[in-house]
Amino acid sequence: MSYAFRDRLATAENTTWVAVVVAAVLIAAPFFLGGFQTSLLTRTLIFALFAVAFNLLYGYTGLLSFGHAMFVAVAGYTAAKTASVVAPALGLGELFGGLAPIATWLLILVLGVIMATIVAVIIGYLSVRLDEIYFALITLAFSMAIFVVFLQDTIGELLHAFGMGEGNWSNGSDGLTFLMGDVQALGFEFPLVSLVDPFHYYFLALFVVTLGLYALWRIVQSPFGMICKAIRENPERARALGVDVTYHQWITFIISGAFSGLAGGLLVTLSGQVNPEAHAHWSFSAVPVLMTVIGGPYSFLGPVFGAFVHEYLRWIIRQYPLLESYWQGSFGLLLLIVVLFLDNGVAGGIDRFRAWLGVASNRYSAEGAGGVVALTSETVSGFAATLQKKLSR
Amino acid sequence: MSQHGERPHETSDSKLSGGFSRRGFLAAAGSGATISLAGCAGNGNGGGDEPIRIGGTYLLSGVAEALGAGSEAAAQVAVDAINEDGGIDGREIELEIRDHGDDPQAQVRSLVQEFEADLLLGMTSSGVTLNTGPTWEQLGVPVTLTDIGTPWITEHDAETYGDYYEGDGQAAGIPNLFRTNSHTAHMTYGIAQYTADNYGDVTRIANMGPDYAYGEQCWDYYQAYLDGLGFEYEVVESQFPELGSGDMTPQITNVMNADPEIVFTSFWASDTVTFTSQAAEAGLFENVVDVFDTIGGSADNFESLGDTTPDGFHYSGWYWPDAYGTDENQAFVDTYQETYSEDDNITDYPTFTGGSTWAAIQIYADAIEETGSTEPEDIIDFMEGYTLENDPRGSITLDPDSHQANASVVIGETSQDAEVPYEGAGLVNTEEYQITRDEALDLLEGSGLPPGM
Repeated sequence: MSYAFRDRLATAENTTWVAVVVAAVLIAAPFFLGGFQTSLLTRTLIFALFAVAFNLLYGYTGLLSFGHAMFVAVAGYTAAKTASVVAPALGLGELFGGLAPIATWLLILVLGVIMATIVAVIIGYLSVRLDEIYFALITLAFSMAIFVVFLQDTIGELLHAFGMGEGNWSNGSDGLTFLMGDVQALGFEFPLVSLVDPFHYYFLALFVVTLGLYALWRIVQSPFGMICKAIRENPERARALGVDVTYHQWITFIISGAFSGLAGGLLVTLSGQVNPEAHAHWSFSAVPVLMTVIGGPYSFLGPVFGAFVHEYLRWIIRQYPLLESYWQGSFGLLLLIVVLFLDNGVAGGIDRFRAWLGVASNRYSAEGAGGVVALTSETVSGFAATLQKKLSR
Repeated sequence: MSQHGERPHETSDSKLSGGFSRRGFLAAAGSGATISLAGCAGNGNGGGDEPIRIGGTYLLSGVAEALGAGSEAAAQVAVDAINEDGGIDGREIELEIRDHGDDPQAQVRSLVQEFEADLLLGMTSSGVTLNTGPTWEQLGVPVTLTDIGTPWITEHDAETYGDYYEGDGQAAGIPNLFRTNSHTAHMTYGIAQYTADNYGDVTRIANMGPDYAYGEQCWDYYQAYLDGLGFEYEVVESQFPELGSGDMTPQITNVMNADPEIVFTSFWASDTVTFTSQAAEAGLFENVVDVFDTIGGSADNFESLGDTTPDGFHYSGWYWPDAYGTDENQAFVDTYQETYSEDDNITDYPTFTGGSTWAAIQIYADAIEETGSTEPEDIIDFMEGYTLENDPRGSITLDPDSHQANASVVIGETSQDAEVPYEGAGLVNTEEYQITRDEALDLLEGSGLPPGM
């Protein structure tokens, strides 16, 4: 191990090589993984986008939304209706031939983002007038209203009242299940989304998620993102500096909603079904919150780490019937550990570990292996002391 | 026989991606060296000492916990009995039952792709079942439903009823799925026929059911059958409390205010317990001629209700342990009771899905023994049209087209004097009802509801 390597490991500078390795691993992964793992990885990447979009509002702007499921649900129902009604009505099959499923998929993403944005514009306008717990509660209330609209099929009933359809639009509690069809091009034929091995869809999702994350990264690095953080830190001071705080929060809400809608379109297409219980219920709104808290809200990639920890831990728990029966309990324990020991979730933990490695390498140079052992025991007793302090508080 | 013969049943990863397979892609990309690394965890394991793996998904938490646990218990005793008898051709059966969890389709895929299940069992929720259809179809492994009410999942006539998965109808039948329990279109027929036979002078009917697809379907089918039977009646009230609601008193009050003679309900599991105890407290049972419940007639519910269940009302189910008088049924009930007599978490009397779950395991065992194979095509070909003679409910046949068993439903009178191995009521004076597809088509004509059998 060269000094330069240890140096790079210990500092946050120059992380290009990490990005290159991660990109290479992600591109190669589905060639080595089986169908189940490819599906899990696809889902995790989509959740990473969802959680980062959520965190634009929470970690960057200081507004805890407890209703982000509504964007996924709205985009999800748009996806199902696009695949089963809109695309056939537009004649995409005849227009694009063997590429029709891809055209349908692009239309799903575009319409999903548009619908989520419309919802975000309206609900955001009404919600950002409140802050802290009141903001969390009003977003929860709106998302539950949308849950009920899909569950009770209010749209179907309204359309029926105006003489359109037979009163069935969202199919109530059963939701909508749809198929994306096979792509035929250049002599190849493959299902756009295989439910048991989404090999091809993985690359499409990876591409869109990467673009989405890059766009969000540019947003948080821009002056706009700087103002977000200023609002989070001190809304009064930001206001005194001439920032229209409410308007800025509204725009942030809309951007967050639009990207959540993009994630929703991707996610519902992956599973080929959308239903109120799985995609619109408040418990689904808790998922990005949990991922962000686990991963670390004060770091751009924190929610991405959180998404990976959440999804893979969930996968491990699913293997064991006993753990599965108490999976909420297992997650509660994890959350407790994160809150007790890590200042900023997994992302904070990684930063601290890197700093620790730096100290360890210095101690190794100065004192040899004994120095590292001594440092380890100091760290462990430090953790014990922290725990004791927190518990006795 | 095999209208589905041309469908692929291969489950190895390399085939699932369709014509443009992973192997093809790799070869095209010129990276042939990695082929051997690509996951090809197929599961048609070819015999030898490998166990036969059966994976199941049931609701093992929340509102339906007792129901899912009852099905799991029945599957387990069936598997134990076969294993104690030396297995199938010397191979043991390994059973793994998992909760639906928060992503039931992932659970099903995990059972096939990670646990490497050869055969699947399930489920508890009709909605989840309909959502899982395409996943099962693509996995290609034989699936047998033991607990599912919705008729749509075994309806294949997309021309008449529209294709569920294309968003324009109710026919959701898939080629590798079978069902051993009788379902909503059987159950509501039984209750409608009972109503017509016994209550010719009754006209005022009210409905109560859980507020989701199952509750709505039961009520639609019951009314359609009454209409088909030419029964004259008036709907005086219809109430749908939330699924798993702890408080149904507002809805019970509304129903009582409408002064019905018959109350038709479609509650199940803990909802049956809530409804029965709160209706008893409100005095509903004293003011009506009869109360029906579609699938509430189950040991776990009666045990939870203790002495609260009133005598003389008609609760029904897909199976009642004391209704058949066959040796096979007695053997099943005895084995079940022996196994669970010491277990405090399981009522030691099979639930209303006991018969269908036991039957599903027996059919799988017969299929493997007869064909000597666990390949999906062989099992499916065998199951189409197969008659299980030693079903606890009497013999059943799996229809070669719909894949639905022609199983009976049972309606009984609640009684605290019933001979049951727990404290609580049971069913007495039980009657069985059966219906064929043609009879159902005739009675349901004009309703637009598919028979699914």
